[in-house]
Amino acid sequence: MSAVTYLEAISQAIREEMRRDEAVFLLGEDVGTYGGAFKVSAGFLEEFGPERVIDTPMAEGAIIGSAVGAALMGMRPIAEMQFIDFITCGFDQIINMASKMYWRVGMPVPMVIRGPSGGGTKGGPFHSVSPEAWFFHTPGIKVVVPATAYDAKGLLKAAVRDNNPVLYLEHKLLYRMPELREELPGEDYTVPLGKAIVRREGQDMTILTYGAMVHQSLKAAQILEEEDDLAVEVVDLRSLTPLDRETILESVKHTNKVLIVHEDTLTGGIGAELAAILAEDLFEYLDGPISRVAAPDVAFPYAPPLEAAFLPNSEKIVAAARRLAAY
Amino acid sequence: MATPVKMPRLGESVAEGTVGSWLKKEGDLVEKDESLAEIITDKINAELPSPVAGRLTKILVQADETVPVGADIALIEENVEATATPTPATSAPAASAPAPAPTPVGAASQQSAPSAPARPQGTTAMGNGRGAASSSVRSAPEQQGEEERQRISPLARRLAREHGIDLNDVAGTGLGGRVRRDDIMAYLANRQAAQPAQPVQVPAAVATAPVTTPQPAPTATPAVAPRASEFVTISQTPDEEVVEPSRMRLAIAEHMVRSKRTSPHATTVVEVDMTNIAKWLEKHKQEFKQREGYSISYVPFVMKAVCEGIRKFPLINSTWTPDNKIIIKKRINLGIAVATDVGLVVPTIYDADQYTLAGLAKQVNAVAQRARANKLTVQDMQNSTFVVNNPGTFGTIISVPIINQPHAGILSMDAVVKRPVVIEDDAIAVRSMMYLCLSFDHRILDGAQAGGFLQAVRNKLQSYGREIDVY
Repeated sequence: MSAVTYLEAISQAIREEMRRDEAVFLLGEDVGTYGGAFKVSAGFLEEFGPERVIDTPMAEGAIIGSAVGAALMGMRPIAEMQFIDFITCGFDQIINMASKMYWRVGMPVPMVIRGPSGGGTKGGPFHSVSPEAWFFHTPGIKVVVPATAYDAKGLLKAAVRDNNPVLYLEHKLLYRMPELREELPGEDYTVPLGKAIVRREGQDMTILTYGAMVHQSLKAAQILEEEDDLAVEVVDLRSLTPLDRETILESVKHTNKVLIVHEDTLTGGIGAELAAILAEDLFEYLDGPISRVAAPDVAFPYAPPLEAAFLPNSEKIVAAARRLAAY
Repeated sequence: MATPVKMPRLGESVAEGTVGSWLKKEGDLVEKDESLAEIITDKINAELPSPVAGRLTKILVQADETVPVGADIALIEENVEATATPTPATSAPAASAPAPAPTPVGAASQQSAPSAPARPQGTTAMGNGRGAASSSVRSAPEQQGEEERQRISPLARRLAREHGIDLNDVAGTGLGGRVRRDDIMAYLANRQAAQPAQPVQVPAAVATAPVTTPQPAPTATPAVAPRASEFVTISQTPDEEVVEPSRMRLAIAEHMVRSKRTSPHATTVVEVDMTNIAKWLEKHKQEFKQREGYSISYVPFVMKAVCEGIRKFPLINSTWTPDNKIIIKKRINLGIAVATDVGLVVPTIYDADQYTLAGLAKQVNAVAQRARANKLTVQDMQNSTFVVNNPGTFGTIISVPIINQPHAGILSMDAVVKRPVVIEDDAIAVRSMMYLCLSFDHRILDGAQAGGFLQAVRNKLQSYGREIDVY
């Protein structure tokens, strides 16, 4: 068993789920013959045939709408967005159909929408977005954001087996990142939805984060320990919906200071909701202001220097953490 | 002429009492002996009967306030006629009287807020905020303003409140002198470190009392013990939980510490053969209960024997006074320890030596019931001269009790259990045995008297034959 990348972990999860359950199938642009824009489904067509690995037209509304219909009929579709930015074209199907169907007609919609999100690859405004907040706001759809190869596989398997629509946001920068290679268990495993994980323990401050920013936060925590003697706890949320309040509250109760880090833009982001929860539930445990590090409220820039300035990173996290520590 | 209502002495070792709640409000008419307020002490929660009939014109001590025994807590106007008709007139002054107190505070804070001086308060507060404040102009508005401007994190504010810390005393090390968690923790650590110094002084004073000059009554010594805020170590870890002790728990804690500090405790133990009593109880307990409506146990037997022991050794029934005298009490009023849901209480059975065994059983039942129903009276809690404790009901075989101040001793009766014992002619027999443990104040008694007393108690208990007349 060799160490696999984040991307290979995703690929393994889909393949194993399709082998395990005939109801699971993949549909999306170029997922068949081409093997997916990032080669997630390379070899799938050969193994599972064109009825289970379906190349679709460039029409996200149709992809997601077909998936909703199939799910209602008892299938477990995995709909791939070639780039998650284009999920907006299928927005109506997600918001008005997938997420509400169970409330309207009492029928479950077991489907997964997945695709590459996030920036740092010089993808410009249409290939870099972090769309989680739009769906985080919507009741009826789960949102998961894996940060490691292990979680990528385990969360995707859990998402496929869940009876609700699940939005599974891969971070394309992590796809082939060599540091993320890891050996995965030989046997079948899942990572439960709605469970955060403490990636690093500390008592001076909690960083709440997810996705690619987990790695920037861990790097920042290392610097803060070495240079500032600060013990920073890093909580990887993993699931945004449902949110693991217990782990979040427990950590902040313990550290009394909290920094929220996300790659998505600041206003109305995940951090806003986390801040509200903490202010409501833990006000008298707070030893400093709930602080956020996020992208500024502008469209994702294309020019590399602007992209670098736009994205949160370990230096920005370190600076914010120092301000909070000194408060 | 208004009659003052005083904080009653609820038990002789009790120095202060807390008004739990007022059952009447200002302006209410009260009958004599009608309950005015709920009083809480280390011993009991009791309702305070009105000493006279009249109108409650003034409440001087608010609910949750603690005052010394004897302090005026309310005024009752006996001549109701005079005040009854112009009700608004009486209530108006009553209401306006306390008003002046709050006003200046409010005014001060309002004034000082806008006039906040340019002086950097952070540094003053860090150094010696208090001294600086009082040396400048006026302390009251100044301090008020200081608190207004002090920067405090929500967590620090909560911790300060929980630990009873005056935030003016805490130096803030955050930005702009903000008081943060670490500052509170450092302050607590300092206070902890400084703490041992205090207890050393106080007990020293008490310890020297017997041999040197007269000291103030022990009740007047400051309570060294367990204020809620000093149970420190606030728990930040999930495997600990902080419990704020109830007032009763705090009072028991204070009493226990004070007793250990006041009396040099010595303990001695005898073993008593209870076989005949055990057999009698086994045979007659049921029938006794049916006949009398209350049960009988080993307790009245031990109490009866204690009374006889005290007659032979009156010093057991005495007290060491703060001015170094021994007062021997002629009445034998036995306290009996009763465990209740909220804590331990020790109601008194007056003139215990005057009762038969059945009479004692009846008395024990009555006070225990009142204790568990939280219905003990002030009278129940006063004037005991010696305590019999019965941890044996919990199956203990030897206990070392702490003296209920200001007694000379306390007796614990432990469980009656069957043991193989050597009897006459070196035969071995199964007998029902019990240990009696006497803790005594070694200032008053020595081992000889304590042992003599226990012998007397044992002899009495072992004197019963197969047939026992409990009436």
